[in-house]
Amino acid sequence: MEKLKIGIFELTGCAGCALLILDCESQLVDIFSAADIEAFLMAKSDNSDGPVDIALIEGTVTTEEEKEELLAIRRRAGLVIAIGNCACEGGIQAALTASGNWSKEFRQVYKDLKPTNVRPIPSQPIDTFIKVDYYLPGCPIGQEQFLTTFTRLLAGHPPELYRFPVCMECKWRENECLLNKNIACLGPLTKAGCGAVCPSHNLPCVGCWGPAEEANRSAEFKLLLEKGFDPESLQRKMAIYSGTTIVDFFNSLKKERR
Amino acid sequence: MRILKLKKLNLFSFLQSLSNGIELWAPVKKDSQTVFQFILPEEINKINLNFTRTLLPPKKLFIPPSFNMFQVTAKGYKEDYSWIKDRILFGLHPCDIHGLLTLDRIFTQNFPDSYYVQARQKTLILGLSCWPDEYCLCQSTHTDIIEEGFDLFFSELGDDYLVWIGSSRGDDLIRIKPEFFEESLGTKDIEKYIEWREKRAQAFKTKINFVFMPDLMELKYNDSVWERAGTACLACGSCSMVCPTCNCYNVRDEILLGDKPGRRVREWDSCTLLEYSLVAGGENFRSKKSSRLKLWYTHKLQAFGSKYGKPSCVGCGRCLVTCPVGINVKSISDSLEGKKVDAFWARFSIEVKP
Ligand code: SF4
Ligand code: SF4
Ligand code: SF4
Ligand code: SF4
Repeated sequence: MEKLKIGIFELTGCAGCALLILDCESQLVDIFSAADIEAFLMAKSDNSDGPVDIALIEGTVTTEEEKEELLAIRRRAGLVIAIGNCACEGGIQAALTASGNWSKEFRQVYKDLKPTNVRPIPSQPIDTFIKVDYYLPGCPIGQEQFLTTFTRLLAGHPPELYRFPVCMECKWRENECLLNKNIACLGPLTKAGCGAVCPSHNLPCVGCWGPAEEANRSAEFKLLLEKGFDPESLQRKMAIYSGTTIVDFFNSLKKERR
Repeated sequence: MRILKLKKLNLFSFLQSLSNGIELWAPVKKDSQTVFQFILPEEINKINLNFTRTLLPPKKLFIPPSFNMFQVTAKGYKEDYSWIKDRILFGLHPCDIHGLLTLDRIFTQNFPDSYYVQARQKTLILGLSCWPDEYCLCQSTHTDIIEEGFDLFFSELGDDYLVWIGSSRGDDLIRIKPEFFEESLGTKDIEKYIEWREKRAQAFKTKINFVFMPDLMELKYNDSVWERAGTACLACGSCSMVCPTCNCYNVRDEILLGDKPGRRVREWDSCTLLEYSLVAGGENFRSKKSSRLKLWYTHKLQAFGSKYGKPSCVGCGRCLVTCPVGINVKSISDSLEGKKVDAFWARFSIEVKP
């Protein structure tokens, strides 16, 4: 059987997801022998720009140039998998674009400096521009989830990822619920898959696996207001890993206030 | 059933003498909570006798939250029972033993579940008496007393335990340290026990109208209570994870790289989750949280009845202390009865019209 051709690509992000793949030390030889890794800038110097069966893409689209690069990858890829919170949701760099004040914020940071070699745009998850087949969440992605997803893809099966929130894994690990101890845990709003590492160490989930499909933001928001948290810091907390998906919720809050 | 007497100060030495060559699991403190945990003979003092309910019910020992069912290679598959050990499980309160008896009806009758059956057979159950707190509902659910389902049962009585022997395997345990046990109970002991039972019966502060519920669930099938609770439900699944009678699971297949065998993993599931009623083709029979909650409560308060004899709630109070938005058998049955309920979900649903 011919080996599948894989490309691992990085747009704007911290490169943590790509690094995590490289960090699968004990499995790395297996990964490189199970498939032909055609492109993986972090791991090798001879990267092809030919067709691939599966493209794993990390990072957000933050410039016009990246947008073009992304469109080109889509054209030569069979399946496209968004990996990590940046590619899936827009990442931290998209957290505050919900305000709609991107140009103003850009000037706040860069003043009158004119970028010479890139044309910046508001950060967006990759599915703003291309069709994405599957999403592998996390900031960074989890090693175990990456490997089980990768092997399923190689075998021609769709990934089997959890669609429920972090609370399920949290209960499997028999943690007392932090919400009931008046700690603002975002577990109920966040996709499971990390093994509930934070609540298992008595730290509240900050949402890095991205929003769960059925995240009941308004109920949790009201619940935390009742517990005495202030709305602004809650909104900031909820925005960090929600990327562009938080816009509607913020708008509904604004409408309510009117 | 034979009843013996054991000096309280001999309990730990007795348990220690049992844990030779067999895993002893017992209640142990985890932060402010209590959990069932494997303990080594030298850690016997870690046992916490003074608890009302553990975070997870004892079902975690018979169907772990996540376990490997079998390894699979190109040649075939091999079941994995390696996690099933000979065990003594000490410290089960009556509600939790009732919970196991409910699971038995599901997992050992029509379609025996080989993992559950083996784990049950290999585990001795040592029950322990308890005193209710403000969340215990077992008196309402008629599960506050236990007459079967244990090998030994320890009832605390002053400086002693009265020890019920519930099986021949329980009797064998007594024979390991017969010198610890007194055969005959005095009239004083019997009087003291009767008095204790009466006092305990008076101590239940929280009640639900459990007997009325099957009817009321039927009559109020379209009541707004479901929509209102559904609007606030976080679909987090916690209620099912902590309920001693929730038993649903999901399986997923893991393929490993190289020539390592693949695995089929079995994990706890919950009908309160979005994907629970999702079928091939994308149809979801219960896409609304309100209809999922209705299903959950039908099992706890009603329909388990028609299929397996009685509703499955054993009154342990875990949903009361767990659900972050206050959806639980108490607040739901009270609202079905038309009572005013002080819970986040009830306040939330007034603010946000479902
Ligand atoms: S601690 Fe957080 S993740 Fe765990 S059950 Fe509570 S809300 Fe969910
Ligand atoms: S618990 Fe939450 S913040 Fe922590 S790793 Fe998991 S998803 Fe990320
Ligand atoms: S429904 Fe609630 S009180 Fe009843 S057995 Fe389950 S967790 Fe315990
Ligand atoms: S009823 Fe409560 S515990 Fe159960 S899924 Fe809904 S929010 Fe979670």
